[in-house]
Amino acid sequence: MDFDDDYYSGGEEEDQMLYTDDDTDAEDFDFIDNASDSSELALSNRHHVRNYTVLSESDIRQRQEDDITKISTVLSISKVAASILLRHYNWNVGKIHDEWFADEEKVRSTVGLLENPVMEYKDASEATCGICFDTYPSGEMLDAGCGHPFCSSCWAGYVSIAINDGPGCLLLRCPDPSCCAAVGQDMINLLASGEEKEKYCGYFTRSYIEDNRKTKWCPAPGCDYAVDFCGGRGGGGGYDVTCHCSCSFCWNCTEEAHRPVDCDTVAKWILKNCAESENMNWILANSKPCPKCKRPIEKNQGCMHMTCTPPCKYEFCWLCLGPWTDHGQTTGGFYACNRYEEAKADKEFQEAEQQREIIKNSLERYYHYYERWATNQSSRQKALADLQQMQTVHLEKLSDLQCQPESQLKFITEAWLQIVECRRVLKWTYAYGYYLPEEEKAKREFFEYLQGEAEAALERLHQCAEKELEVYLNVKDPETDFNCFRTKLSGLTSVTKTFFENLVKALENGLSDVNAHAASN
Amino acid sequence: MQASRARLFKEFKEVQRERSADPDIQLVCDDSNIFKWTALIKGPSETPYEGGVFQLAFAVPEQYPLQPPQVRFLTKIFHPNVHFKTGEICLDILKNAWSPAWTLQSVCRAIIALMAHPEPDSPLNCDSGNLLRSGDVRGYQSMARMYTRLAAMPKKG
Repeated sequence: MDFDDDYYSGGEEEDQMLYTDDDTDAEDFDFIDNASDSSELALSNRHHVRNYTVLSESDIRQRQEDDITKISTVLSISKVAASILLRHYNWNVGKIHDEWFADEEKVRSTVGLLENPVMEYKDASEATCGICFDTYPSGEMLDAGCGHPFCSSCWAGYVSIAINDGPGCLLLRCPDPSCCAAVGQDMINLLASGEEKEKYCGYFTRSYIEDNRKTKWCPAPGCDYAVDFCGGRGGGGGYDVTCHCSCSFCWNCTEEAHRPVDCDTVAKWILKNCAESENMNWILANSKPCPKCKRPIEKNQGCMHMTCTPPCKYEFCWLCLGPWTDHGQTTGGFYACNRYEEAKADKEFQEAEQQREIIKNSLERYYHYYERWATNQSSRQKALADLQQMQTVHLEKLSDLQCQPESQLKFITEAWLQIVECRRVLKWTYAYGYYLPEEEKAKREFFEYLQGEAEAALERLHQCAEKELEVYLNVKDPETDFNCFRTKLSGLTSVTKTFFENLVKALENGLSDVNAHAASN
Repeated sequence: MQASRARLFKEFKEVQRERSADPDIQLVCDDSNIFKWTALIKGPSETPYEGGVFQLAFAVPEQYPLQPPQVRFLTKIFHPNVHFKTGEICLDILKNAWSPAWTLQSVCRAIIALMAHPEPDSPLNCDSGNLLRSGDVRGYQSMARMYTRLAAMPKKG
């Protein structure tokens, strides 16, 4: 494969244009050089304009504060009243405006914002607490703006029980059963203990994310970020979002990111994997024997090109266990490991034999797709680890050894980011393939063709980034020039990117090009 | 603990003083334990429970009145919202809609109201709930009346 220098520099220009499209993206991209774990973030940015925002806890608080100020100014009510309204209307500012100006009285009574107390006790010198039934001087009594007096220790108990009962405390009302007056944050601050106040604030922040239809928490364990999704489907990026914690997930179903496969297929596939996982684990936990010397082999590197340890040194494909020489383009061979050859039913078989064959076939079919799905998954994990290793250790070493400034080595990071993303897409195309109906022959063929092309490109790229790079990490003056390697790797990155973009596009429009092709033929 | 005891004592005195205020409810505190109460309530008129006297048992928690008392029927009753075997009652004010301003007396009143207005959509007694939900009011009433006669009325003769 030949790529001249023009090709490479052209690619770079195009990339730069992508980054400068959007200021925030450019900032985020700079960020990866410092923090290696944000690499996935950069990944998603590379591919489409972001249609979502990642919110930190302070962002959430800021947005809450903004909304509260907005409502309090427009409606001329206190901030406490504004936050009660917002919580009641699930932080929907527009809806509050509409309903408030349509019928303020009605909104006030449903939410519990009374304009005047329903009873007065402050004029009398003493009042009876409605909870403990003891009598206190009126000045020591508190009410939620409705005039139902309760003593401060009963109030404190009431508030404490509500807060410890869960997020329902955000909609707390006056203890009098006939009264709807809302208990606002000012009362909480006055009555609750420090720990309880903290809890209440936590619920308050959570309510912004959980009650809002446009925001969701990042599902990664221990992650405190939320994602605000502002694009619909078809904005180019589907539902895939990437949190600052580097977790990529589907905003719609909160499973891991699975573009271009839709949420239903993913849900079905995950359910199926759960049901069959024990069987699967048993089979896959066993390593594969080398096809030639039969020694058991555990796969420890990312790509599918396996080389058995000396003295055997047999080279084979991890997926089909066939000789690797059948897999390259140079041999005129065809990379066909993504295909599932249906076992042909032998007509001479006994009926029972056929039945057994069908069951075995369906299992084998599933194993076929599951294995490729799972292998790409672990291959992706490995690639992610390699990427980090590259960024933290190898790039510096390479820079010294080959006398290249690190800024000139970005193409290596690019290549690894592409590998990680492609492994993810490829993985999910196997779930897609499993559910693609057997009858739709034309679609299947087209899909397998695209998948095969993409997979072959990815294998070439992965191999180049993994194996060929090693040489330059160990030798100062290798046989081939480092610039040749640069041209090759960035060329492969660009080609692989195109293949996968085509694959994603084709799957996202339901392989509809098949019909067009069929018509033109 | 002390607050709940004080409050219960106030309710106790109130019950003593206003014994005749509500003739349908007779609340009695256990002689040795102020956290255990029983009540006798009259079945509301124009219901299948009319003429019956039903016994309720109250177990009051230490955090009363911030938390609701536990109440169950000791007398067998055929009602959609009362468990036929245990006498457990499904009533919102005894669960999440509890207010510390309620008293044992007002709980009794709420239970009498529940007897007159069953809510078949959240049944603890499915047979009873199904009769009402399928529109068989007569069937429900005759079953309820039968159990009222069997369990909630003094035996004649």
